Amino acid sequence: MYGASVDEVKQDGAEDPQKLAEFEARIARGEKIEPGDWMPADYRKQLIRMISQHAHSEIVGMLPEGAWITRAPSLKRKLILLAKVQDEAGHGQYLYHAAETLGISREEMVDMLLTGAAKYSNIFNYPTLNWADIGTIGWLVDGAAIMNQTMLARCSYGPYSRAMVRICMEENFHKKQGQEQVILLSQGTPEQRKMMQDAITRWWWPTLMMFGPHDTDSPNSPLLVRWGIKTRSNDELRQDFVNQMAPDLMALGLTLPDPDLKYNEASGNWEFGEIDWDEFWRVVKGDGPLNADRMAARRKAHEDGQWVREALAAYAEKQQALN
Amino acid sequence: MVFQQLASGEPLVHNGTVHAPDIEMALLNGRDVFVRRPTAHALWVTPVECIFTRTREELADGRWLAGVQASSGAAEAWHVFGKLTQQGQLEQLGQVQAASAEEAMKLAIETYTQHEIWVWWVFPVAQTLSSQPEEAAALFSFSETHDFKNQAYYPVITLMREIRNKKQAGGKRG
Repeated sequence: MYGASVDEVKQDGAEDPQKLAEFEARIARGEKIEPGDWMPADYRKQLIRMISQHAHSEIVGMLPEGAWITRAPSLKRKLILLAKVQDEAGHGQYLYHAAETLGISREEMVDMLLTGAAKYSNIFNYPTLNWADIGTIGWLVDGAAIMNQTMLARCSYGPYSRAMVRICMEENFHKKQGQEQVILLSQGTPEQRKMMQDAITRWWWPTLMMFGPHDTDSPNSPLLVRWGIKTRSNDELRQDFVNQMAPDLMALGLTLPDPDLKYNEASGNWEFGEIDWDEFWRVVKGDGPLNADRMAARRKAHEDGQWVREALAAYAEKQQALN
Repeated sequence: MVFQQLASGEPLVHNGTVHAPDIEMALLNGRDVFVRRPTAHALWVTPVECIFTRTREELADGRWLAGVQASSGAAEAWHVFGKLTQQGQLEQLGQVQAASAEEAMKLAIETYTQHEIWVWWVFPVAQTLSSQPEEAAALFSFSETHDFKNQAYYPVITLMREIRNKKQAGGKRG
């Protein structure tokens, strides 16, 4: 059958060295690993962790933007925002499916999110305080996500890579609509410019944190690189992001909240100051501005949907009895 | 499992799965999850447990194929899908008539020899629900009219260039 059942998943212990060598040779040849193929237990475990976290991020990520659907300033922006939030729900679905092929059930994953056992992207624990935050999320937050996702679209696990290809295509719309809004607001009335600057000031650092800890503090990275799951490191991606974003934001007359930000002619890089890692770890551990609110909203949505799931199941059962 | 056909005459391709209590809801959920864009010409769904799969790795030593027993039951139609490229989705290859999943798989491997296939799927035609041509407009046309979901709708490159040019011109004057 498609995917693996949990009881055939090897939990721990040493892998057969010959199988491991063949597996690593396949990855070196650029082959995609598919459900049914042999894979090390650790490869499966790391992928389940990453893909389910990623799925949860898409789902929780609907909340900060969803809060502004009713307050969008025009019908056009409302339609765009609705479509974007709907896309994020779809991305969550693609990713839950990719994780399911590794032998974990969707119910288990949702449970892990709701009980707090699984993480999701830190960025969604920050509040959306004004309309300019919506453009900022589209351009900066989705822009940062795309850098990571473009890398993952080339990853060695077939179902994850295919989900990512689809997601990247759709995310480009998210990024562009965000960028357009930031451009328009930054060139708008003094009040709009002030709102835009406020949003950039609040979101710049949390966005840089999205790339995760420094390479030296990222314990899973070497294995993930070796098995073709990640092909670039957190710090490399973060530097690319700053190089791409800083000149554009400054061209719009916006100020980035980093006094150490400067262009290094020799390296061609925009050098930036140190991230507040205390804040990063505080938010990861649950003490961010909105961690509790986000989880409460997810739990409520899950509980409020209970009667729908029950009604659908009862209807399906009745139809089956009739046939 | 959800399969999508983008245009008439093209093979259906595998998209992913949705959860649903019955196959009709699966078709509707599949529409909501996968046809936001690009639009579809047709959509199929089949229960995951109906998919019988073998990867090239599983077939490599030839033992599985050699062990397939001929079935005596009545033959039925099976859809055959295959993954043709490393990066690609599984796509529709055709149909075979067989009395069991194993037999359908063996027949598919013997029939579709013109491609190098990385992953094979067979599933019974009788267990597949397809959208009907007369439903296509109602199911799929919504996604054809949403220009704003296309990144080309946002002229950001032109806007950025204009702002930079204006700034440069202003700088020269100052």
